[in-house]
Amino acid sequence: MSSEHHKPPRQIGGELVIPILSVGFTIYFFMTIWNSPWTAQVSTFLIGGILLFVCAIFFIRCAIWLSRGEGTLGFGNLFTMDDFRTGRIGLLLTTIGYVALIDSLGFTLTTFLFLAVSMLILARGKNAVFITMISAAMALTGWAVFIWAFDTRFPRGWFETTMKAVLANG
Amino acid sequence: MDSSTASILTEVFFETLGYWYIIIPTIFLGLIVGGIPGFSAANTIIILMPLTLALDLQSGLVFMISLYCAARMGAGIPAILVNIPGTAGAAATPLDGYPMAKQGKGQQALAISFVASCIGGLLTTIIALAAMPILARVGFYMHSVEMIVVMLFGISLIASIAAQDMVKGLIAGFLGLMIGSIGTDVVYATPRGTFGFLELYDGVPLIPALVGLFAVSEAFVIIEKRVIVNHDGEPKAPNWGDTFEGVKIALSRWVHIVWTSIIGLVIGVIPGAGASIASFVAYQQSRSFSKTPELYGTGHPEGLIAPESANNGVTSGTLVPLLVLGIPGGATAAIMLVVMQFHGVSFGPSLFENQPKVGYGMFMAMAVSYVFMFLTILPLSRYMSHVTTIPTIYLAPMIISFTLVGGFVPREYMFDMYLALAFGVLGYIARRTGYHVAAILIGVILGPLLEKYFLWSLKKSDGDIMVLFSSTLGNILWVAFAMSIILPIVFGMRRKRKLEVPAE
Repeated sequence: MSSEHHKPPRQIGGELVIPILSVGFTIYFFMTIWNSPWTAQVSTFLIGGILLFVCAIFFIRCAIWLSRGEGTLGFGNLFTMDDFRTGRIGLLLTTIGYVALIDSLGFTLTTFLFLAVSMLILARGKNAVFITMISAAMALTGWAVFIWAFDTRFPRGWFETTMKAVLANG
Repeated sequence: MDSSTASILTEVFFETLGYWYIIIPTIFLGLIVGGIPGFSAANTIIILMPLTLALDLQSGLVFMISLYCAARMGAGIPAILVNIPGTAGAAATPLDGYPMAKQGKGQQALAISFVASCIGGLLTTIIALAAMPILARVGFYMHSVEMIVVMLFGISLIASIAAQDMVKGLIAGFLGLMIGSIGTDVVYATPRGTFGFLELYDGVPLIPALVGLFAVSEAFVIIEKRVIVNHDGEPKAPNWGDTFEGVKIALSRWVHIVWTSIIGLVIGVIPGAGASIASFVAYQQSRSFSKTPELYGTGHPEGLIAPESANNGVTSGTLVPLLVLGIPGGATAAIMLVVMQFHGVSFGPSLFENQPKVGYGMFMAMAVSYVFMFLTILPLSRYMSHVTTIPTIYLAPMIISFTLVGGFVPREYMFDMYLALAFGVLGYIARRTGYHVAAILIGVILGPLLEKYFLWSLKKSDGDIMVLFSSTLGNILWVAFAMSIILPIVFGMRRKRKLEVPAE
């Protein structure tokens, strides 16, 4: 029993993110079908209605926890300073950069840059030479298998265009 | 089966064995394309269409079938090792496969998966061959009403996953169903919940959802640890012991393999149904009638066997309507149809009279592929499992880059990569706050199908809801569905009572 008393309070703020998103999305969804034919409404009103009901139960449960002091509105289970220390925020930013740049720089170059930068962030700058080599090897393998061998329509840029010209001219 | 059929089968079997030089490389190709989200047997056959068309009919058939089987099996490998199903058909595999890998039993889990896949695939191929005329008619009896119940069998898995925290599980499942409803409605094409994006008018694409919810979110979670395996253990030297242990575990549950692969076969013969439905239904049924349902989700071998044998059962099932009726049971079967028509093969009952070697040859190619797969892949499980010991600082960026690009491949929209990233953020929030990503994915996959069949039923009956109980087969399925929900509760109560007796 005593261990239960020393249990840290539940971080309800983080747990509420998904239900709040769900309620917001359901209300938006209902607005988009309000004047639609019944075929567009019937199943979504049913599913959305149940989702709103279950979320309401969860909100009531959270209110009870808060009133009893069993939880706080903290987000400790979702964001902590550890996210900077482990490199998670850095990885998120490089991932956003990867998606944003791949269309203009092409698959191979962007993959190399993404792998090298994100691995360096996660490794805190250690093993830079090894990371550069492994990133280059992975990006080139990806190019060789998916673009050169299978001709998959991966995003193409400067590197792919140059290699195509080089290979075409022997 | 008369003697002439038996002699044709024997002849075709030995002829197919002679194509080992096509089958073995294709198996490795299939494992790779099956393991990378966004790639699949279907789009690989399309990419390699010029090669397939250039080959003679028999070689082309052997190539396509081997690729199909191997890709199905390959999808389970990353699902077990890094929690990333290669295709939606393997979405139920990580539920128990990944916890096994985290416990350092990755090699054992792979061996179980390979044995379940090979036996499930082989067995259903034999059953499909023997019962082809009967199985081919299943599709005729499965109308929208019956399909609703089949979908509900799969969706009820949400409740099982939600067992630990029912409210949170239901929120995740119903959020998935709502996300699955995005897109135009099936009758009047009215856009719903699309946020104004034209790319969402066809609904939420499955691969970006799969990539985001499983791969991207997992990559952000695993960086907390040095390696995937718990306790930061040093890599074990490759050993045969774990592989044999896995084989033994799988073989000791042969009954389980048999009945879950038959679920896959029956669902596979229904055009439009697929491996994802089969694996969810098999997992749910396996859990419902298990003596240890509480172990599911913690790394229970039966929870791994069920989806793997079921999704390989689907593989042979999809061939039945293709060969007997000329109706492809799935995307890969549809592409096979095109290739075979190019070679002048006409489908239907006459196929087995006019070109019996082609008809039986497809099943034999499947059987031989599974035999070769068992012999070639099983020994590799001891090396594959070492993925779980690669430091996460290298593994996480690789997972993100290759799976995000995989999300782009099916439709070639940059939008899909952003969508995968958005699903990744949603998946990460869900994982960190105790919501099950598999419950969201079940909703996204099965939600649109359930709605489609529901609306078709209502349209046919002019809005009369009682149409859901209007067919004999449908009513039998409703009773079976109710039993599968009620019986586990009754069994659970009985088990609880038995456990309480000694305490009293």
